[in-house]
Amino acid sequence: MAYYVNRGSEMTWWEKSYIPEIIKGMWLTTRRFFHNLFGFIPFFLGTEKNRRIMTVYYPEEQVQYPVAYRGRPVLAQNEDGQPACVACGLCEIACPAYCIHIEPGQNSGKQNQYERWPDVFNIDYAICIFCGNCEEACPEEAIFMSDECEISMLDRKQMLYTKEQLLVPVADLQKRIEFTRNMYAKWNY
Amino acid sequence: MLVELFITLVKILFIFAVTVGFFAPVLTWVERKQSALMQDRIGANRADIMGFTVLGLFHIIADALKMFTKEDFIPDGANKVLHTISPIIALVPALLTFAVVPFGGQYTLFDTEVNLVISDLDVGLLFVFAIASLATYGYVIAGWSSNNNWSLLGSMRTASQMISYEVTMGLTIIGVLMVYESMKLTEIGAIQENFWMWGIFLQPLGFIMFLTASIAENKRIPFDAPEAESELVAGYFTEYSGLKFGMFFMAEFIEMVTIGAIMTILFLGAWHIPFLTTATLLSWFDFLGTTGSNLVVMLIHVGVFFAKVCFFIYLQMIIRWTLPRFRYDQIMKLGWKILLPLSLANILVTGLVILALN
Repeated sequence: MAYYVNRGSEMTWWEKSYIPEIIKGMWLTTRRFFHNLFGFIPFFLGTEKNRRIMTVYYPEEQVQYPVAYRGRPVLAQNEDGQPACVACGLCEIACPAYCIHIEPGQNSGKQNQYERWPDVFNIDYAICIFCGNCEEACPEEAIFMSDECEISMLDRKQMLYTKEQLLVPVADLQKRIEFTRNMYAKWNY
Repeated sequence: MLVELFITLVKILFIFAVTVGFFAPVLTWVERKQSALMQDRIGANRADIMGFTVLGLFHIIADALKMFTKEDFIPDGANKVLHTISPIIALVPALLTFAVVPFGGQYTLFDTEVNLVISDLDVGLLFVFAIASLATYGYVIAGWSSNNNWSLLGSMRTASQMISYEVTMGLTIIGVLMVYESMKLTEIGAIQENFWMWGIFLQPLGFIMFLTASIAENKRIPFDAPEAESELVAGYFTEYSGLKFGMFFMAEFIEMVTIGAIMTILFLGAWHIPFLTTATLLSWFDFLGTTGSNLVVMLIHVGVFFAKVCFFIYLQMIIRWTLPRFRYDQIMKLGWKILLPLSLANILVTGLVILALN
């Protein structure tokens, strides 16, 4: 037999007669239907602001994600073209999914040479869970979560990004850098 | 004789073009697009030819191509003969009912009397119900022959639901018959030339009950227990693929048109415009001659009829996307404990009123 839950609300006779309540529901959907019928201007006829509804034509139109959004992690690239990373391996340890692989570069002891840098820095986005722990663990402000989320591929091997693919100029990441400074400063490590 | 044959052939072609050629494919698009709009979505708009999507209308072609090229699968242990013919049994009655459905009145074209109904049977209304209930066999056989638990459950639900609601349907039209004193659908349509003789005013309760019962007959939400996706995969057509599935699909959409047409004729004044008699319309276009004015009025009437049918299709779709599914015991309770007594009371009240007025 069916199991009845007593929600403590008795329906009135008016509600029990089905018809008025059904008409009420249909009025709602009909209103919505006609509202959208004339509100849905195709993307090439008007911008998002001119339309009365907030649904976007996704691949043609993009939404600006908020700065707190965690997209794919990227490496910050200094003005001289080198990654800000010092290959300390903290993000590799912090990563709960083990998707980061780092091999440090060999310092030969010459003058004006970078002291530490990664030779190999791979992130496998097929494994990454976008938790942001690497960003939190990084002491050098070198790895950040970007707002890019379209990383689906036809081949799983292509999802393993190498150092060159991961590098993003530090100027493009300013907003996120500010955000992380505010965010993690509060917690007072 | 030859002229009559030609006229009948033209009418048959017209009905086929309208139902199979226009309504069945376009309704698949309308259903997607309407539901999308109601839920703030955009709906089907990806199928394109040379970059043009035309609001997703090419999805109709894509669907047809998909159904034609899919594998026609018959499961192990299925009864091959019955499995093959059951979609046909389901589809043919839906088309056959249009044989007696008038989509216009009588007009004089080139000195020939043209009656816009393929076959003007004296028992038209009974014929509709006799044929429509044949479709049940298609659904029951489909479920039984596919050797699948879900299909069998779905077909059993179909059988019980169809039988329950056919009782209500049959009793509801008795009220209509008492009012119009005719079973001929053309006569019922002709009487409703007077706006206040429309069935919706004479039989308001009958209208609501007929609409409910006919949606239940068509197995659409909120009465879609026979094909409940969340319970029975797809009900009686779980094991069907390709064009056989397409036939079940088409049967459902054509039945929607049939229900719309029958409802229009019985309750919404058939092909008549409110407060405009055929004679008035004819006098407006008198300057075109007999044939010309008749032709114009005929086109207007056919247009009005199909506009009303479209309204009923819209109503069915909006009900489908507004209401949740009834539980199975609720369907049975509604059918036997509420609609059946109400329809009997409707007959009683109608009879008493007719007796009092005479």
